[in-house]
Parts: sequence; C-alpha cells; structure tokens
Amino acid sequence: MTKGNKEKEIECLKAEMQKGKGVDIGTVFVKCAYMEGEEIMFRSERNAFFEVEYSGFTKKIFDESKIKYIIKDDKFYVVGDAALQFANMSNKETRRPLSKGVISPTEKEALPMVELLIKSVVGEPRYQDEIVYFSVPGEPLDADFDVIYHIKTVEGFLKTLGYTPRPINEGLAVILSELADKNFTGIGISLGGGMVNVCLSFISVPIFKFSLIQAGDWIDQQVASVTDEAASRISAIKESSIDLSKEGGLNKIENALSIYYKHLIEYVIEHIKQEFNKIGGMPSMADPVTIVLSGGTSLPNGFSQRFKQILDQLKLPVPAGSVRMAAQPLRSVAKGALVAASAEEVKL
Amino acid sequence: MVLSGTEADIINTVARLKEATKDQIRRKVGFSPEYIEFLCRYLVRKGYLTFSNGRYSLARAEMKTQFTEEPKIDKELIKEIVNEAVKEISGELKKTASGIKIKTGFEFPVEDESLALESNIDKIGAKVEKEKSNIDRLIQLFRKIKKKGGRDD
Repeated sequence: MTKGNKEKEIECLKAEMQKGKGVDIGTVFVKCAYMEGEEIMFRSERNAFFEVEYSGFTKKIFDESKIKYIIKDDKFYVVGDAALQFANMSNKETRRPLSKGVISPTEKEALPMVELLIKSVVGEPRYQDEIVYFSVPGEPLDADFDVIYHIKTVEGFLKTLGYTPRPINEGLAVILSELADKNFTGIGISLGGGMVNVCLSFISVPIFKFSLIQAGDWIDQQVASVTDEAASRISAIKESSIDLSKEGGLNKIENALSIYYKHLIEYVIEHIKQEFNKIGGMPSMADPVTIVLSGGTSLPNGFSQRFKQILDQLKLPVPAGSVRMAAQPLRSVAKGALVAASAEEVKL
Repeated sequence: MVLSGTEADIINTVARLKEATKDQIRRKVGFSPEYIEFLCRYLVRKGYLTFSNGRYSLARAEMKTQFTEEPKIDKELIKEIVNEAVKEISGELKKTASGIKIKTGFEFPVEDESLALESNIDKIGAKVEKEKSNIDRLIQLFRKIKKKGGRDD
C-alpha cells in the first residue's frame, strides 16, 4: 500500500470513529458520550424530579433562573440537580423515574420523564439508524425482578428516535473503557445509586455478570434511618464530603456512612466469590485478575483502598491483581458503550 | 373508547381474578409479557384498571358486570394458578426460567409519551463535559479482538 493510500485509510478510519453514541442509563444520571473532533463529549442529566406548587410566576422565575422543569397533567416538577436542592431545602425526598436500575414500577410519571431525559441527553441521531449502545444492568442476584421490560422499553424508545439501539452490560462497558491494557480482561464494577453491576470478562467476553440492588441508595436509606435525616441530605453529604480514608474524628453521619460503605463492599465481594464458585474455575489467565471500580458510589476519597483492604481479608478464589479506580468514574460506562458503538460503526 | 379484543380479554381476566399479576394475565390472554404490560399500562391510563403492589384490579366495581360474561369459576385458571404456586414453592419455576435462552428479537413498540410534556429542558440544555480522546486505541483493539473471537454480550 502506498503512503498516500495509508493516510487516506487512517483519515477514513478516524471519520468512521466519529460515529455512534454510548449512553449510560443509570438510576441517578443519564449520560451520553459521543466523539466531536479529537474530544469525547459527555452530556448528562440527573435522573430526579421534585414536585412543587404550580403558578405562572414560578414558571417565569424558573425560566429566568434556568431551573429545569416539566409540566405534566397540571403538575409542576423541578428536574435535574435542582430537584435535589429543592428536596434538601424542604427536607423531603426527590422522586426518581428509575429505581434499582430499572424504570420505576411505582412512579406513574416514570416513563415520559425517562423518555424526556434520555431525549435531552442523547439528542437526535446525526444520521438515520446511528448506532447507540445503552447500558443495561445484569440480572439482579438479590431481588426478585428481571430487567427485560426495562431493556425493551429503552430499546424501543431509542428506535423511535431514529437510532439503532444495542444493549451493553454496564460492568462490561466499564471494562471496555478502562481495561484495554489488560486486553479487556478483568472485573469491572459499576457502583451506582440503584445498583451495583459486576462483570468478569476474558478478552472482552463476559464470563459472568450480575447486579445487586444494595447500592448507593441503600447506603443513603440505611444512614438516613439511623441518623433521622432525609436520604436526599445523606446523598448530598455522601457526594460532597465523605472521606473513607479517615479513621477517627467522624461525626455521626460520617460514621454511619463509613459503616454502611464497609458493609456494601463486603456484600459485593462475597457475591463475586459466590459467582466464581458457581462457574467452578477460571479461564487460564497469565496475570492476576485486575479489578476496576467506577460509578458515583465509588467516588469518596479512600474507597479503592478500603475495597482492597476488605478484598485482602475475604480473598477471591483466584489471584487478585490491582484494584484501581476508573480514570473518570462517572464517565466510564458511557465511554465504554461509545467504544462498542464506534467499533461497530467502523466498516473498514 | 372502544376496546380491542385483547384489551377486553385483559379486563375479563382481571374481573374474574379480582386482582391479577402481569404474568397471570399473560398466561390467560397470551402474547409477550412486554406487550401485556404495555396494554395494562394503557388500561390504567384510561381508567379501566388500577395498579398496586404488582397487581392489577378493576378501577370501577360496576365494570365487573360489564365484563364478567364468562363463567364465574374458571377451573382451568385456578388449576394453572395452583400449579404455579406449587412450582414456585419447589423452586422449579426459577430453574426453568433461568435455563432457557430467548433468541427471538421481539421489537417492543414504544410511543414517545414525552411529547405530551411541557418543559424547558431542551432550551437550557444538558450539562456538557469534554475529555481529550484516547478512544481510537480502544476501538482498534476491541475491533481486533472481536474479529478474532467475537464478543457475546
């Protein structure tokens, strides 16, 4: 091949890689990743709403202050980050269109809200039938529901928007984003609000994948109940100031958060051990298995060290390698989904 | 509103059982769980059914006379429910469900219900962040691996 042809091929390859989108449909955030030139763009929206009293004046103020709202059946809902602020101010809980990783069965307004939030984040396809990979949870091990309805609904909606939708397991998306240096081999854990998703992958092929519904929201609820605070407030503290590397000098809320974080980590590791035992061995791997952590619940300072400490105590049935945080824990699922979408779009 | 045959079947089933889960309705009426759920949600929105604790029931008691033309005791359905309960207790149902892989690609029609909402979300726009891309390397490696063996998600 001549130099000119090679350059042309690289240019074509680069252009093809601009195609496709990856979407993380999480309980707390909806996030979409796509390429624009040399950069990956991430558009996101908090998946929460809060009902406030409706008046024309409120609507005007909200428009001027750029507070996002939705009006449905004469009800007025603040959405996004502002919903959390409103809930905290009135010491109440936000409402969520997604619960435990899937479209909430108890929220009547859930489906149109989810649709609007997804649409605002994903936007129109840039060309007909653009491929979009959207994250889906694994089957939950600790709850009696499946994820089929959720997957089919999101898939159907993305199709309505003009996309070619493909589901990708959330844990696997983390692996595609973070474990290229290990040939996409290792354990990807996405610790979100409604679920923890785990996937063990061997050169990008999932060996096992599952989800647990004890996750960030569970921590908030447990801490809220023992400290007599609203879960929304606990969530705000958890997202802004908790430091899991601190041993002493913790206040009551920090202490409770620390206890429940430890419990959650142990719970996740015990389930991973259980899944290893179920498959009765591992594909032969040259190196110890690397674990990568991502998601909003993994954000507190000291989280990965604590995970490693507990892992050392509990021990997996296979040699464990490094435990590391995703480069951008809130973006890795969307980015991994984008890798899958772009790889499929490249036709060369 | 004129109900379709399947919608009327769903209401009949719920009327006979007083309360019914999605799966109970599906076994009686047929079709996929997704489609049955879609119709049930529609009937809830139209005020025919209510939904609480995972069970559908008639929204208005007087509807029972309108829709319960079939015999009041449906022995076949009772037998089915008893069999299901026995299976559930013995754990057999779970084993069956997890042992079968569904291979058909059913397309679930979803309406864009958000079109009926008024909102300023689009006007304000979503939060946008950027990062320098290192994604080319990931895509190339992933494609290479896929070509060799394929990924089975």
